[in-house]
Amino acid sequence: MNIEKLNSTKFEEIIYEQECACLVIFFRKNCHVCKEVIPELEEMEPEYKDKFLFYSVDIEEERPLFQRFTMKSVPQVLFFNKGEYRGKIAGLAERDDIEEKIAEVMG
Amino acid sequence: MAKEYDLLIIGGGPGGLAAAIYGGRAKLNTLVINKGAVGGLATTTREIVNYPGYVNVTGPDLMKDFKAHAESFGVEFLKDEVVEVDFSQEEKSIRTKKKKEFQAKAVIIACGSEPRLLDIPGERRLRGSGVAYCATCDAECFEGEDVVVIGSGDQAIEEGMYVTKYAKKVTVIVLHDEGILDCNKVSAEKALAHKKMEFIWNSTVEEVIGDEEVDGVKIKNIKTGDSKTIACKGIFFWVGMVPSTKFINNAGINTDQRGYILTNEMMETSVDGVYAVGDNRVKYLRQIVSAAGDGATAAVAAERYIDEVKEFNDNISNSEKTVLLVFFDPKLAESLEFLSMMERVNGTLNSKFNVVKIDVSMKKNLFKKYGVTTVPAIVAIERGNVFERVDPALDESALLKKLECI
Repeated sequence: MNIEKLNSTKFEEIIYEQECACLVIFFRKNCHVCKEVIPELEEMEPEYKDKFLFYSVDIEEERPLFQRFTMKSVPQVLFFNKGEYRGKIAGLAERDDIEEKIAEVMG
Repeated sequence: MAKEYDLLIIGGGPGGLAAAIYGGRAKLNTLVINKGAVGGLATTTREIVNYPGYVNVTGPDLMKDFKAHAESFGVEFLKDEVVEVDFSQEEKSIRTKKKKEFQAKAVIIACGSEPRLLDIPGERRLRGSGVAYCATCDAECFEGEDVVVIGSGDQAIEEGMYVTKYAKKVTVIVLHDEGILDCNKVSAEKALAHKKMEFIWNSTVEEVIGDEEVDGVKIKNIKTGDSKTIACKGIFFWVGMVPSTKFINNAGINTDQRGYILTNEMMETSVDGVYAVGDNRVKYLRQIVSAAGDGATAAVAAERYIDEVKEFNDNISNSEKTVLLVFFDPKLAESLEFLSMMERVNGTLNSKFNVVKIDVSMKKNLFKKYGVTTVPAIVAIERGNVFERVDPALDESALLKKLECI
């Protein structure tokens, strides 16, 4: 996994204090759908370098974070900008859908 | 420029990987194009207990072994998705989502199947907020809560039992009459006796209810027509699979109504040099072992096909003499008589020609390639190029005269 992992402290810092435009994938190590979505994000990350940031949260290590966004499954990609939650894509997210959502969030 | 391979395999599940092993071992320059994680649907299985030689293995582990085996024979892998194919020529062309182009002498379609969506109100909207498709991924999220499972096949019942490890109660919505489940008998007995499992018979699901997250599900009894709502926090859809064969839509490959590809016992499709293996073809049993068997068959058939095409092309383009392609149908007596007449005429002419007999029931691709529409037919070829079509209706002496002048 090349995407930087966040714990709850770092999550607060990046999303709400620095107000970064970013996405966060919530995943679990043994989830096969996550294993399909994560490589896709890893491939996309360099294309968005410095413009849109990519992070991850392992839900087994950070349960409270997972529960806070009323999520009931992994993987889920959550989008943030200017300290605000801007939506999510659940399940087997296609690259096109993620790109579209990033464009919308950066809009 | 399109990169060229001998054998191109679309899909990296057990069928595609077994084909890759056989293709690689036969020294075919082989590429596997795979959309997601290598291993296909098998990687979603926690426990495999019926693959020969492995008493108990996880899907991902078994598929890792398959892939390593293929790589040991020099097979290449590419993570991409095939979006367009052109199988109308002898060299098959393929285009991917990342805009790469490939050509191959033979293609094996092994792209499996994907979960069917019911597309009922609320299903898409609440995906990830209670609507789920994967027990391993999501069962833990429903610790101590009520969960509904839709379907009664192997996956629905076995995964449903896995969900009971966490959920307070699992209610299974079944289309059939009381006591009838589509899954295997062992699982059915276990599930029906399970303390945490309940069944609602003769019913379908109409709507997933909830604003931010799932609060319940509306079901309808198909016998009485009555609808009712069951409260739950999670709903798992396991309503069967559909073949992932959309990209072959215009390639002339015959499928059944649901999109599963029709093949013969050599895994040949209706297009020469194109094969289909595993879950995406019409077949009796969809298991890892049967997919692997399909893959082996298809790769061997593809190897022979490639050899035949090469031998044929070499024979024609390197022939010192003029080649006469004689197309015939072994089922027709007149076709066979015509063949022996050709032999006699060529004998009289001291074997002036290199006569190549083509059985049209076996070589449909050559039939098309040389624009032949009826049999018998004679096409004269010099240094690889067609230069005359001889009228097959001539009688023996007229044919002799005609061929003398060529």
